Amino acid sequence: MNRNLLRALAFAAGALAVSLPAFAGAYPLQVARNVIMYMALALTWDMLLRSGQISFGIAGLFGLGAYATALGVLRAGMGDWLSLAFAPVFAGAAALLIGFLILRLRAMYFSIVTLALAEIFRIVIHNLHDFTGGPEGVVLDGVMLGGSAAALYWLTLGGLAVALGASWWFEKSKFHFALTAIRNNETAARSSGVDIFRWLLATFVITSAIQGLLGGIYVQSYGFATPDSVFDANFTLLPLAIALLGGIHSTIGPVFGAILLGLSSEWLKLRLPYGHLVVYGVIIVVVILFMPQGLYGLARKGLRRAEGRAE
Amino acid sequence: MTKLKTEHLTRAFLGLVAVNDVSFSMDEGEILGIIGPNGAGKTTFINLVSGIIMPSSGRVEYKGRDVTYMPAHERARLGIARTYQLIHPLENLSLIENVMVGSIFARRHGLKTARAKAAGLCESLGLSGLDRDTSRLTILEIKKMEIARALANEPEVLFLDEVMAGLNADETRELIAQVQTIARERKLAVGVVEHVMGVIKELTHRVIVLEAGELIAEGPYEQVSKNPRVIEAYLGGAA
Repeated sequence: MNRNLLRALAFAAGALAVSLPAFAGAYPLQVARNVIMYMALALTWDMLLRSGQISFGIAGLFGLGAYATALGVLRAGMGDWLSLAFAPVFAGAAALLIGFLILRLRAMYFSIVTLALAEIFRIVIHNLHDFTGGPEGVVLDGVMLGGSAAALYWLTLGGLAVALGASWWFEKSKFHFALTAIRNNETAARSSGVDIFRWLLATFVITSAIQGLLGGIYVQSYGFATPDSVFDANFTLLPLAIALLGGIHSTIGPVFGAILLGLSSEWLKLRLPYGHLVVYGVIIVVVILFMPQGLYGLARKGLRRAEGRAE
Repeated sequence: MTKLKTEHLTRAFLGLVAVNDVSFSMDEGEILGIIGPNGAGKTTFINLVSGIIMPSSGRVEYKGRDVTYMPAHERARLGIARTYQLIHPLENLSLIENVMVGSIFARRHGLKTARAKAAGLCESLGLSGLDRDTSRLTILEIKKMEIARALANEPEVLFLDEVMAGLNADETRELIAQVQTIARERKLAVGVVEHVMGVIKELTHRVIVLEAGELIAEGPYEQVSKNPRVIEAYLGGAA
């Protein structure tokens, strides 16, 4: 496809996203904020997936970041922006420690441990009543930026920009080669000098830090955190579904997946209250069964076939 | 000059001794054949010297330095490269990107330098259509790509584990000539595992013979091929 056309489209989409508060009402803006949040999480999940590692721990790091921000404000007296910066630092540091322990695991073993860790974080915060507020959670004095819907939307958009930038950087840098080689064949990767553990650790820390940042943004946008809200399994499952639908191992896949799934679920919620989750589940099953590379993978395959004919 | 040497190298898998007390050395510019019947421990031996698995006992020395327990990726950076008996293409990377991997990680070149170097290596092996998917390559092209990827490490020692297997006579002849040229130009020490004795005879200066993990003979091919113990290993006791 024409590179300039793609660039123009990306620019137009960016301009539309930034200017959305100028013409969208409160409800569409709220929907957009959700879509953006999940899009960013889906990108971070996919970045680690490019190495072949499937994490079920997104909600864990997201929740850690959320509590880092909330407790940073309430217990350490941090300002709003400092508390936001603290979230990725804390989540990243936690990921560094955890990564040392679990990044020698592979496949199912890695996935299950990440799932268990997310649950452990939730339970610990649930039970450290005096410090974390326990099951009732913690409430901030107010939301950031005076609670302006537009400003909070832009803040979330900023979180997405970080995730998009990181994902794009992963595609264009040595990360692309390291992670793809690890995913394809670890033995061959080692023989070509790839320090597998180091690249996995770097990827895990970076993606976890971004997940933590998004958790911090979430808390600052809503003004409260409870173990059940910020460690919600949806923060793990929806990003996964989004990336699978849109197309894994890419930046563009999760972007389209989030828009499609986000908007369709909003629409379904209005048509079929509660029933929308069933339809949602069906979409995911169909995608996994019939197009394991997602919509983007399907498009790429079609494009390649067309090129093959043209040759 | 001795590039690589092992002393009493041994590896046992749950009682099965796959490589047993093997001592050998390889010199600069030398092409060494590693032969022996199936299950003799040839691939395990290469896995041990390249760091893919660790020995039970013994020692591996690279240019006088003890590398016995050094991880594979560090040995790759130091200058030990290899290909695999079962092809290992990196399927989600293109032909040239596969080759770049060695340059990027073993030599820590930037992507631009790595691409230029990879293009040069591909050309020297007669590879074209560098942006193709690996799924579109012939078996000969994949084998060449894997040799190029190993050479992208800029190694001083290179092991080729049955690279000629599955190639026809013309392809084999072409690849033998290319390996000889590369070894000479880069002053490589090359270890070659092959089952086709014609290839060993043509390509190697010296041969070591493994049987049941043990080194049973060593010398030029013409001499080793007449060794009664080697003949017995290949043909069985009845011969």
